Amino acid sequence: MDKPWLYTDNVCRFYRRKTAVVKAVDSVSLSIECGDFISLIGSSGSGKSTMLNLLAGLDRPTSGDIFFEDKSLSSMNRQELSSYRANKIGMVFQAFNLVPHLTAQMNVELALYFNGTPKSKRQFLSEQMLSQLGIADRSDHRPADLSGGEQQRVAIARALVKSPDILFADEPTGNLDEKNTNDIMTLLSELNKQGLTIIMVTHDLTLANNVSNKIMQMHYGQIVDQERKPNDLS
Amino acid sequence: MTFRDLIATATGNLWRMKLRSVLTFSGIVIAIAAFVAMLSFGAGMQLNIAEQFEKLGLLSVIQVYPKNAQETDSSAVAELNNAALEYIEKIPGVEIVYPFESLDLVIKLGDSETTVSAQALPSKAVETKLFSDLAAGELFTADSSRKVLISEDILAKLGIESADSILDKSVIISIKVAKIDSGVVSMLRPLSDIIQTRRKEMQSDTIRFVEYAQNAIREELGGALNRFIDGFMKNRETKAETLSVCGVFNSRRNGRLRLKDIILPVATARDFSSSGFTGNPTEILAELQTGNLFVANSNSPIKDYSQATVMMEQNALYEPIRDSIEAAGFRTFSFAEQFKEIRQFFRYFNLALGLIGIIALMTASLGIINTMIMSITERRREIGIWMSLGADMNDIRRLFLVESGLIGLIGAIGGVIFGYIISRVGSLVAKTFMENEGVPPMEIFHIPIWLVLTALLFGVLVSLLAGFYPANRAAKIDPVVSLRNE
Repeated sequence: MDKPWLYTDNVCRFYRRKTAVVKAVDSVSLSIECGDFISLIGSSGSGKSTMLNLLAGLDRPTSGDIFFEDKSLSSMNRQELSSYRANKIGMVFQAFNLVPHLTAQMNVELALYFNGTPKSKRQFLSEQMLSQLGIADRSDHRPADLSGGEQQRVAIARALVKSPDILFADEPTGNLDEKNTNDIMTLLSELNKQGLTIIMVTHDLTLANNVSNKIMQMHYGQIVDQERKPNDLS
Repeated sequence: MTFRDLIATATGNLWRMKLRSVLTFSGIVIAIAAFVAMLSFGAGMQLNIAEQFEKLGLLSVIQVYPKNAQETDSSAVAELNNAALEYIEKIPGVEIVYPFESLDLVIKLGDSETTVSAQALPSKAVETKLFSDLAAGELFTADSSRKVLISEDILAKLGIESADSILDKSVIISIKVAKIDSGVVSMLRPLSDIIQTRRKEMQSDTIRFVEYAQNAIREELGGALNRFIDGFMKNRETKAETLSVCGVFNSRRNGRLRLKDIILPVATARDFSSSGFTGNPTEILAELQTGNLFVANSNSPIKDYSQATVMMEQNALYEPIRDSIEAAGFRTFSFAEQFKEIRQFFRYFNLALGLIGIIALMTASLGIINTMIMSITERRREIGIWMSLGADMNDIRRLFLVESGLIGLIGAIGGVIFGYIISRVGSLVAKTFMENEGVPPMEIFHIPIWLVLTALLFGVLVSLLAGFYPANRAAKIDPVVSLRNE
């Protein structure tokens, strides 16, 4: 049987807090196939964001390993891991994390600084992406001048402009109202249908049920249920 | 991330924090300006001295002196006579060599007269840079010329106001000449009386005869010498010549090349001295000491000189010539050697000034460190965003280094411009002060290109060093922590 596209092998991420050891992620083994829309659900402090950071190569596991296209992330050096983040993945955060002093378009362009995209192409690609997400008219605005929904669209445009293989979304609708939440989830769903693999962290089970084809539930750093169908969750 | 992107991003970041950037630049500007102004003062002084040396041709001059008996290991002391001068002239690289011959004389123009010190020089010697800026007239061109050069200092004593008005005028130069025979006559005349007296005294005191005789001999020898010199001085004849003034030279001279007030062609001057001693009793004593008294005249090959001047050919190196002269048993003084020492002094002087500037720069660099650390604290989330987008630690480090380097570069450019302004203002003030003090104004500040480049380099280098710690700190920021929801 072929190995999965992205998988983890007994990944642990422990933190030391004075004398105590916090097991943020504890012996997690999961597998993700290309084209999946995975929702990582769980209560606050269950370790889902830490898991997302580990998969995104922003953090390194204390033990165990993560494999993407059969390459171990743990064995990658700093530059290789940066290259993985610059080329293979896109990230969307609950707090949008846009650079406040840059315009929407410059925020999107920023993602192309690190994957060798020539300057001449950057502007074209970022304008195109903002246009696809329906916020071309807001390209000259700074984040402070945009609504929450618009900011998250800019953040998604920034994540997608480099054509990543996987989109990691950490509570992407956590700061949005219902309408914007629905719009963003519709957008993510469409992107997934177009073939983009999405791994989303959320604590909203309904949201996860609506868009995901696989839901993994985390509790105290462990995946307690990863094969359950979305419709079976209650 | 390309270097161009880094520069653009860093410039944008500095522009965004204008006030903070300007304040940080100001520290560097002041430090670099102080560095440039201080070193330009050192460089200006050095240049002035070099120009003076070059203008007077001093770098191609070696002064030669005979050694004292104490200065030499061998029993024989090398004599600085005409034979020695001929030997020196043959040393490769030597253009001319001439002895220092001076004489005291009276110069008379119309009703005015004054006593001056004169010097005899060959025409070849006056054709050098030493007389390159005559105040008026021209040089004499032959050693036996009936012309004379006079210094500006003498003009007032002769009642002349402008240098041009004395040109081609005849002056009477007179000198007192003493002869050996007048001294001998003076010494011998009372001899018979003395002998008679001494004989009587010796008869009356035979008990302590030996001791008495020694005292008497010592006393008589001293007395004879005094009478000899007295005879020289009392019986001097006045010898006068009429010469015309061909040129007036600038009397501002430095160091050991100070010229006498009257410069006579060497052969013309020797006409005076060939008729006897023209100097004072010390000249006679010196000749007595060397045993040359009765043969001493200017044409004698064994006449000793107290000093000779060697002028080197253009581009000749002074060290081998100096070594050859010293090997012949003489003491030398070289302006090139002195200039080397002056340059060495200025090297330390500039180093000290530079160190003060560097201390100022280091103080300013603390401002850069402070600015960068504040900037990092404020931009933690931005750094996290960069890392989540694929920035490497090196990208972050380079961004902050470029920012601090830019602060240094812009500050250094501003500092060089400000330093230039300070030097111009300083120069203006100094020139006004010199003019008020009656000193010819000179440029005391000089900003050579090496100073500009060094200032820019130092500004950037110190800023980069200052930025190194903050940049490393920024590169070590954990993106997970900085992106965590607050």
